[in-house]
Amino acid sequence: MALLCRVAENMFWLSRYVERAIAVIRLIDVTAHLELDAGDQERDPSDFWAPLLGEDASTMDSMPSPAHVRHRLAFDATHPGSLVSCVRRARTAAREVRESISSEVWEQVNTTYLALNDPLVVSEMENDLHAFFRRMRDALLLIPGLADATIAHDEPWYFLSLGQHLERADNVSRVVTLQGHLLSAPSTVYRDDAVRWLAVLRSVGSAEAYARYYSLRVDPPRVVEFLLLNPVFPQSVRHNLNAAWAALAGVSGAVGVADVGANPPARALGMLRARLEHATVDEVMEQGLHGFLVDLQNEIGRVSDQVTLAYFRQDPHVGRHMAVTRAAMILAAQQQ
Amino acid sequence: MTAHPSPAVFPYDPGGFWDEMFEAPGRVRPHYAPLARRLATLSPAEVERRQRTADLSFQARGITFAVNQGSEGVEKIMPFDLVPRILTAAEWRTIERGLEQRVRALNLFLHDIYHEARILSDGAVPADLVLGSRGYRREVRGMDMPGGVYTHVVGSDLVRDHSGQFYVLEDNLRTPSGVSYVVENRRVLKRTWPQLFHENDVRPVEGYAQDLLDVLRAIAPESADDPTIVLLTPGVYNSAYFEHAFLAKGMGVQMVEGTDLFVDDGALYMRTTRGRQRVDVVYRRVDDDYLDPLASRPDSILGASGLLAVYRMGRLSLANAIGAGVADDKAIYAYVPRIIRYYLAEEPILPTIRTYLPNEPGDLHYILEHIGELVVKAVNESGGYGMLIGPHSTRAEQEEFRQLVRANPRGYIAQPTLALSRHPCWVEDHFEGRHVDLRPFVLFGRELKVSPGGLTRVAMRPGSLVVNSSQGGGGKDTWVLAEGGSGSTST
Repeated sequence: MALLCRVAENMFWLSRYVERAIAVIRLIDVTAHLELDAGDQERDPSDFWAPLLGEDASTMDSMPSPAHVRHRLAFDATHPGSLVSCVRRARTAAREVRESISSEVWEQVNTTYLALNDPLVVSEMENDLHAFFRRMRDALLLIPGLADATIAHDEPWYFLSLGQHLERADNVSRVVTLQGHLLSAPSTVYRDDAVRWLAVLRSVGSAEAYARYYSLRVDPPRVVEFLLLNPVFPQSVRHNLNAAWAALAGVSGAVGVADVGANPPARALGMLRARLEHATVDEVMEQGLHGFLVDLQNEIGRVSDQVTLAYFRQDPHVGRHMAVTRAAMILAAQQQ
Repeated sequence: MTAHPSPAVFPYDPGGFWDEMFEAPGRVRPHYAPLARRLATLSPAEVERRQRTADLSFQARGITFAVNQGSEGVEKIMPFDLVPRILTAAEWRTIERGLEQRVRALNLFLHDIYHEARILSDGAVPADLVLGSRGYRREVRGMDMPGGVYTHVVGSDLVRDHSGQFYVLEDNLRTPSGVSYVVENRRVLKRTWPQLFHENDVRPVEGYAQDLLDVLRAIAPESADDPTIVLLTPGVYNSAYFEHAFLAKGMGVQMVEGTDLFVDDGALYMRTTRGRQRVDVVYRRVDDDYLDPLASRPDSILGASGLLAVYRMGRLSLANAIGAGVADDKAIYAYVPRIIRYYLAEEPILPTIRTYLPNEPGDLHYILEHIGELVVKAVNESGGYGMLIGPHSTRAEQEEFRQLVRANPRGYIAQPTLALSRHPCWVEDHFEGRHVDLRPFVLFGRELKVSPGGLTRVAMRPGSLVVNSSQGGGGKDTWVLAEGGSGSTST
């Protein structure tokens, strides 16, 4: 069955928002652990949390408290990157394509949304952060799991997969950027360097895999190598770009990828893959990790834009503009 | 059938109304006996537990409707009452035959008024009433609909008065909604209370989406070998969005929005990731006014520009047909008995309610004098908006409606206030009577098919007569007992 452009776009963003939500709660959980591991050192706990707000924090009058940061990241509906915002957007996208996804996937998205909007959940997080984290992570991870198991692996599913892997590649690179301060801070700040590097790995759920893969003491270049360049680990940027490539091939069917030149998204993604394929961690560190990451994020953004232009719509900005008038009119068109 | 052993029943006051379940205090109607026996075995806590399970199930599955409130709609769950409403096979036979007759006559009427208009020149129905109706569409005059059918999906509202007589309250011939609740209410009840279905022979309702698909295939343009069918929804903010997704999924067709469609070179297309794809049949849940901005509302973004021209060329089929709404105009409703006699030379099987039309002087006088006893309705509204229920209104509201009716006589009708039948509903920790209606669904492709049962809507507020979901109405699963079953001989 042919796939509507609008449906394809919502599939793509449904999985992107789910993936983004997972990244947000991981970050909260890991930061909480890190703060506890710092023990009784003379440090303001806010030092651990404020960086998570990124540029937001610099616009605030005073240093935000840890609880404030956690609340903003998890429950602030006005913050577009918060957990509730991501889940709400995922649900909106899922509602738009309700007839194209399985009931299992829809219900999982919906119940996750409902759980997060239960007024009790705010105190639940503060009372038992880890239990909250696990519950939310599991609920969110079930969504791609159910999609794999209950939606036919044809074009709509490939858009889900494409969104998921592009988003994860982007998230992992952003976590490395955000935690860059851990990788570059003077080592006296923490009792043990290993603790903070492990924290970076944990924020993308990779600490055990790292240990197993290297069986060596953690150190920054290896962490960077593992998270950016490892070909087989499911959280590494390179692995996700490869998976995105496979999804794009599924989307384009027999045409497209074979003839990369004629398919702008495939061309953009192919070039990016080649860069990671041939990069070595020494070069990356030598050129500057931060610059490399910024570049990477821009390129992922470009791939996403090219996917939008090729499959969703001509003008990437039309959709938002129309949303408000459309809502009013739809409401006016009453049903019998 | 009065000798059946009266089961131990719950304390319940049927009041002075026709009660669907009780023929007298403590006396259950025979076809409700197995249900009453089952209810008698349950403690309030158990009923409450089942009720909660059912509510959670609706919530989790997102079976919601949107209510106009602020700039975006608010999603609500339709309250579900888990005591089913039961119709005997005999009751159902009458309803079924009555609706078939009615829908057949209304389609003959629609064909006539868009062609020779014999019924108007014969004076059986006033021409100005028809031609001046907001639902009358000049643009489909002379168009031949496949099989002469205009109303492929009909949801007529039936009510029962104090004597138990069924009446047709109104017909919904444009975009009737509610059928998804028929199916979902059944699914939820089967899950929360499976035992009930072992003790009663209930006709299934699952097949609706497949039947609808058959209708849509049947009306496809002859040029389309393997027709592409889509469901056109106004979008996620629409009150019936859940139903649109439900039906699209059940039929396995695309659900499209106006922005997914465009017209080019005399055909309708949808935008897909592999380019355009031709569309042959649209089950549209968008009103006539919004279908084509070139033809009616220029600001509409819910339809597609040029759609009407493609339709007129016969390269596209729509369900329901454009222009069908004239026949569910609340003023024309008053003439349906005549329409039935005119085309079929039969007496109406299901009566209509005495309807007063303000543009007839005698009726206007009566309405103004008796407004406190009447229900006054705006002819172009639905969903329980724009109506006055005389006995439940204040003097100020009555005066307001007197003014409205005088200022725009064609815009209103009035009917006597019926004492709608009631049904036991679970309220907090016991059963109370609530007024109900019934909306059965009729499909009309090559032939007519009335889906067994329909949606029983419940006015959840004590004493209220308004069953619309937008006004806080709830729903019940509705059973039609199979022929030859335990309830088929009683009436």
